[in-house]
Amino acid sequence: MTGAKDHVTVTVRAFATLREVMDRELRCEYPSGVTVGTLLRDLVQKYNGLGALLFSDPETLRDYVNILVNGRNMEFLAGLSTPLADGDTIALFPPAAGG
Amino acid sequence: MDGYAGKIVYADLSAGKVLIKPTPPELKKLYLGGRGFGIRLLTDMVDPKTDPLDAKNVLVLAAGPLTGTGTPLGSRYEVSTLSPLTGAAISANSGGVFGWKMKKAGFDAIVVSGKAKKPAWLFLDNGKAEIRDASGLWGKTTGQTTDAIQNELNDKGVRVACIGPAGEKLVRFACIINEKTRAAGRGGVGAVMGSKNLKAIAARGDQMIKPADEAKLKAVNERVKKKLEENGIEQALQKYGTAVLINIINENYVMPTRNFQSARFAAAEKVSGETMAATILKQNKGCYSCIVKCGRVCNVDGELGEGPEYEPDWAFGPDCGIDDLKAVARANNICNEYGLDAISAPTTIACLMEMAEKGYVKHAVRFGDAKGMLALVEQIAKREGIGDELAEGSFRFATKYGHPELSMSSKKQELPAYDPRGIQGYGLATATSVRGGDHVYGYMIAPEILGSPQKLDPYVTAGKPQWVKTFQDLTAGIDASGMCLFSSFALGADDYADLVAATTGMKVDAAELLKIGERIWNLQKLYNIKRGFGRKDDTLPARLLNEPLKEGAPSGQVSRIGEMLDEYYTLRGWDRDGVPSPAKLKELGL
Repeated sequence: MTGAKDHVTVTVRAFATLREVMDRELRCEYPSGVTVGTLLRDLVQKYNGLGALLFSDPETLRDYVNILVNGRNMEFLAGLSTPLADGDTIALFPPAAGG
Repeated sequence: MDGYAGKIVYADLSAGKVLIKPTPPELKKLYLGGRGFGIRLLTDMVDPKTDPLDAKNVLVLAAGPLTGTGTPLGSRYEVSTLSPLTGAAISANSGGVFGWKMKKAGFDAIVVSGKAKKPAWLFLDNGKAEIRDASGLWGKTTGQTTDAIQNELNDKGVRVACIGPAGEKLVRFACIINEKTRAAGRGGVGAVMGSKNLKAIAARGDQMIKPADEAKLKAVNERVKKKLEENGIEQALQKYGTAVLINIINENYVMPTRNFQSARFAAAEKVSGETMAATILKQNKGCYSCIVKCGRVCNVDGELGEGPEYEPDWAFGPDCGIDDLKAVARANNICNEYGLDAISAPTTIACLMEMAEKGYVKHAVRFGDAKGMLALVEQIAKREGIGDELAEGSFRFATKYGHPELSMSSKKQELPAYDPRGIQGYGLATATSVRGGDHVYGYMIAPEILGSPQKLDPYVTAGKPQWVKTFQDLTAGIDASGMCLFSSFALGADDYADLVAATTGMKVDAAELLKIGERIWNLQKLYNIKRGFGRKDDTLPARLLNEPLKEGAPSGQVSRIGEMLDEYYTLRGWDRDGVPSPAKLKELGL
């Protein structure tokens, strides 16, 4: 026993137009060390049409797409390199506004 | 032609007379229209010592040069007056069709002064204006009033802005409603109208509003339309309405819940824009010349109504601890029918709910009680029972019972749907808003939460004062132009300036538009200083300054406006008390 888990389980929640192409909530299991970027690339493979909603090119998110990790915008963590921990919740928002 | 209708009508209700004058060129050049016209005319005409509900107060309804000229999202008009809720010179903005019709009737602005001896309504008819008897309309809802005037004139094309029973009863946060569902919502502009015994203003006409340079305006309009159509944010507004924000704000852990006692509502999904679209939404709807169409027409068990928008959805929902979307929509409809601000009414109820739960007021209502909430909305509008006390607004109500700290307001106006503890720049914007607790005098939620025009870290204070100043000035310019603020998710200052220049023929670039906005802001500030406002008022409720958030990413944070206020004043050219310097006033021509 090392005490460290080999895998992490995270919850993904999708909102607004993203729900038209993917499940609104799902749990995903990954090897430890997974990042937000890995998760998103995995989801894009899994859900047809999601890539065009999230990315303007394979490495760049579309303008105004917001990805939260436990309520914190990943932009102010480590962006797509933000590591995910067991039990994290990732919220995906397409461009949206109100007021 | 220059995008203006060319005339201003002055209605003196005490004398029963109307006077029509040309729109002064200097007013156009320095203040553009809308909020600029309103604040300039109001502050010129009203002694700063005037009580807002005194006949000496005036009510100005003004459109902008872009209102009704065919520019996408050019539909707005602004109501300016002394607020009976805050005591400040304020403005409230509305869309729909009325602003366009006002200009088609021949008028850039309507200035109402005095008090009618008996209920009256004002009829603007193709360049003429007359005061008519409204005795038969008194007591009617906004929908009934609109129908009655259209029937009297036998003309469904006439557009009506009116008050409901709440305005007649001088509820301090009564609003003015046009086209039955569009509200000049905040600050109690409807109570001022009621204090003048003015039930309604109706407009009809077919006067052409032509721009100075049609070819140039057509080209700029095409550019603007393309930007709006291609912008992902505008597309989401169309699909889910403004209530798409419910989940966004909640997931950021900044959703004020149960009178700002926490910032996350577990049942937010039940009142979200997504749920609305999947359940009660019948169709979306736009204002005049709108290509976004964020309005919601909802069907609640056979009752059609418009809304709820994000703010009332939050205020009747999470802020009152209620997760029943139909009850929220019904409450919003009551506000439209009776003419109540659908932010201040529910947030005042949320204040009562907390005070009742804590035992400070004897009342049966509790958080989550949808039935009790619905009854209270009607009681406020009619000033019945405890509704008579709540009609004074949460600050006066909570103060009366010895707990002013439980009013979630700034300058006595209830705060909107964002917890400043987790959005530092927004906290500064709302604390310094010259009209009191507010989100649309400088929408810092755009950069700090939505990432438009760029992503700013909501938890930091550095750099925010400059952003707040720029947003406040640009918004004042947009409000003066007649454009809808929602266009700003896709457009920049250059776009608005090009639209204004092509429409008016005036030399206006982005810097000049910002200067016009800054002039309006400073004029409003200067006048409010004369009414007793100062640094002490540029603040937030103690709860938001001292009690840290307890959940999610912003846990442990409070609003840190104290770190930003001095820098903000300095950037504005104000002294430490927030008083504009002589040099700044000279620069702005004030």
